[in-house]
Amino acid sequence: MSERSEQGLRTEGLTKAFGGVVALDGASVAFRQGQVNALIGPNGSGKTTFFNCVTGMIRADSGRTVYHGRNITRAAPHAIAHAGIGRTFQLCRVFPRMSALDNVLAAVRPVGLLGRLRGARNRAEVDRARGWLTRLGIEHLVDVEARNMSWGQQKLLELAGVLMGDPETVLLDEPAGGVNPALLDRIGGLVRELNAEGRTFVIVEHNMDLVMSISDHIVVFDRGRPIAEGPPSVIRSDERVLGAYLGV
Amino acid sequence: MPSASDPATTSAARRPAVTPARAARGVLLLLVVVAALSFPSLAPNPYVLSAGILVLNYALLSTSWNFVGGFTGYISLGHGALAGLGAYGTGLLVTKAGLPSFLALLVAALVVAALAVPIGYAALRVRGASFVIVSIALVLVLLLVFQSWASFTGGSRGLTVPRPFPDLLRPEHHRVFWFLFAGLLALALLVWWLIDRSRFGLGLKAIREDEDKAESLGIPTFAYKLVVFVVSAGFTAAAGGLYALWFGDLDPVFQFSILTGSYLVLMALLGGVRSLFGPLLGALVVGTALEYFKVEYGSTPLHLVATGLLLAVVVLFMPDGVLPAVAAGIDRFRPAQQSIREVTAAELREQRAGGAAAETELAGARPGGAPATKEGA
Amino acid sequence: MTSGALIFQSVILGLLLGGLYALLASGLTLYFGIMRVVMIAHSAFLILAAYLAWWSQTRLGVDPLLSLVVTVPLFFAAGVLLQRGLLSRLRPATLTMMSVLLTFAIAVIIEGLLGYAFTGTQRRIQLGYGTANLELLGARIAVVKLIAFGLAVAALLTLYLLLKRTTFGWALRATIQHPDAARLVGIDTNRVAGYGFGIGLATAAVGGTALALDTTIYPSLHWHWIGPLMAIIVVGGLGSVPGAAAAAMVLGLTQSLLQIPLNTTWAQTIFYLALFATLAFRPQGFFGGRLAQRF
Repeated sequence: MSERSEQGLRTEGLTKAFGGVVALDGASVAFRQGQVNALIGPNGSGKTTFFNCVTGMIRADSGRTVYHGRNITRAAPHAIAHAGIGRTFQLCRVFPRMSALDNVLAAVRPVGLLGRLRGARNRAEVDRARGWLTRLGIEHLVDVEARNMSWGQQKLLELAGVLMGDPETVLLDEPAGGVNPALLDRIGGLVRELNAEGRTFVIVEHNMDLVMSISDHIVVFDRGRPIAEGPPSVIRSDERVLGAYLGV
Repeated sequence: MPSASDPATTSAARRPAVTPARAARGVLLLLVVVAALSFPSLAPNPYVLSAGILVLNYALLSTSWNFVGGFTGYISLGHGALAGLGAYGTGLLVTKAGLPSFLALLVAALVVAALAVPIGYAALRVRGASFVIVSIALVLVLLLVFQSWASFTGGSRGLTVPRPFPDLLRPEHHRVFWFLFAGLLALALLVWWLIDRSRFGLGLKAIREDEDKAESLGIPTFAYKLVVFVVSAGFTAAAGGLYALWFGDLDPVFQFSILTGSYLVLMALLGGVRSLFGPLLGALVVGTALEYFKVEYGSTPLHLVATGLLLAVVVLFMPDGVLPAVAAGIDRFRPAQQSIREVTAAELREQRAGGAAAETELAGARPGGAPATKEGA
Repeated sequence: MTSGALIFQSVILGLLLGGLYALLASGLTLYFGIMRVVMIAHSAFLILAAYLAWWSQTRLGVDPLLSLVVTVPLFFAAGVLLQRGLLSRLRPATLTMMSVLLTFAIAVIIEGLLGYAFTGTQRRIQLGYGTANLELLGARIAVVKLIAFGLAVAALLTLYLLLKRTTFGWALRATIQHPDAARLVGIDTNRVAGYGFGIGLATAAVGGTALALDTTIYPSLHWHWIGPLMAIIVVGGLGSVPGAAAAAMVLGLTQSLLQIPLNTTWAQTIFYLALFATLAFRPQGFFGGRLAQRF
């Protein structure tokens, strides 16, 4: 078990500026492999930019991202996904004019020419996709186009798609955003369940009840870098955190 | 694991083997094939047959265009140039290199497909607008080059391509080429259909919907776009080459015409870019109209106005296609629409059980089901 | 003429041409900055303005420069209408592609209507000062080219002041750089975008008039222009007005110099070479445009 702490996702001095605005300022973070990590901080503290840099959606100006000892800083987003890091987006992104089933099947990663030319709707994968839809409680929407779904259903669908890719590490960007309390409970429970099955989570979230109840380890961001980290009990009473949030 | 290697399992995912919809689709397909086969005998005169070939050529070009436009949503106005390259490539290989006609056509198509790699690289490396810019620039620059390089291409005087069958009389010649065009169209449709139902095709459609999202799910978007662009270019060039062998006379102004490219877009949009037969239907309508107006009224600037207005109306009000909207009743034609809709509640329960089983299997796929150590570990 | 004088003349002509390119590309850059729209019809409006200048000169006897009083406001209004009435109706998800088709359609409609109204015959304005030349250090420069260049410079200067010194310019730049933030500080980005399109099209009115002074025009001439203009905005870095101006001068100069050893047509291919090379090797452009990475 001790070896696992060497494993997993960490960043070293990630820096990213947009024009004159520094969004990430030398962020060095090591996430706990096999745990539910939370990333919190005030608006504009660079959390989403951090996600985008880690997943290769935007290129950091400097610094590195290391996953299981491998430098993935310059890797293309799809290669990072293949390395085992899946993510959701802050404003939930699904393929609007594709059915729920196709949304999930799109995450299948075929290999080789023949693998890619194989039918997308083959039995094994359709069953697996339906399995995820069932587990997230939206199996009745299997043929419904994503654009015809409610916000909450789209969030669940996005998660199902990410999970179909079987990521070892899942980055969730505001899973509770705009979601009703019942669904919130379901998502929270699901994260714990999936974590128990061995998936590492990194969650950006503003809903402190959710963060405190599901995370093992919390990293607090302010002005583009971590200012504190620790278990929920410690973070709850950390002065710097209170300062960052309350602007003291 | 279930037998994953057999492509035939795909159809098994759709439970009912024969439904009325599928039967209707089969009958319709059969009718189309019969119509295509019998048209040369039914055509009252060689002129009608040659007009039919022109329409068929448009259908082929538009279907080839739809590899890019339909799957990825990237709209190319430059496919006319790829067809022109195929035509000139074939013509020049026959006249300058002395290759047999159909070998020349094959080589030309392959060369254009190879050329599509650097073109696609420049066009697709960054998102969106650059593709359109490159596609238009391609037509304009090739027109310049083929007009100016008269010593090689014949310039504005044109290039005469010898007929592949010098012994055939004109009507016979048309008849043979009708079947050649129809054969190539059938091949293009078959490949489009194969991609449409494949994992590759699903990846392409994901790109059309949301490219960033597709990339984040692990789809190598750039490579996918490039590959499908090359396939599209190959078919387009082959269509151009076949046209060169049939028509026998090439003029840069017509071969590298941006208007040709826009006709292809109009046809595909009109018929519906998401469907296998959409571009074909669109080509039947627009192509026939083009030929009709040319015969009735000659070439006037009002053609441009009509084309522009039609395109604007389609883009503004019916971006998903006119025929798909009109033909909602018979849209069984559209593979994208057919799905597992026929599932009953009982089957749903059964599949839920199956889903649970799949999950167990999934857990089993990770060693020990404990903290995952797979790729990258 | 000595070859030195020839080169000198080519440099002068290249710079004059570059100025006109810069003006026309500025409009194209504005549209792209505002809406990520590649406005194919820009050069068709350019030719339309050239025809209007020709028409007012031959039919009404009005000096083409005076026709600007009518065409500039007219084109401004057309630009606003185009953006508010047509382009803003397109779905954001497919805006880039569909706007190209829509503006392409408009270009074709304009070309068709010009062909219908004025036939495909080549037209040329005959001016009293049309054949006058200026001798400068052995180089012969047509006066009309200088007038065209003067128009371009004046229009670009006006545009620059408008963007940098007025509240509207501030709002427009904010809209281009960060539409969401612009909305947050209370800018009506829709209206600003509409006016931005109006200004873009107004530059086409000036450019078309300048073009008509010195060029033989025909309805399909716009295809001859849209390629170089697209090349300029790409090389300049999509969305950057100064970048487009710099690229316009460099490419105009290169084209003019290449016309010495090559013929006119081959010299024009430089634009396409530059376009392809830029997209393949440096898609963000060479002159500091920052939008390329985001499109």
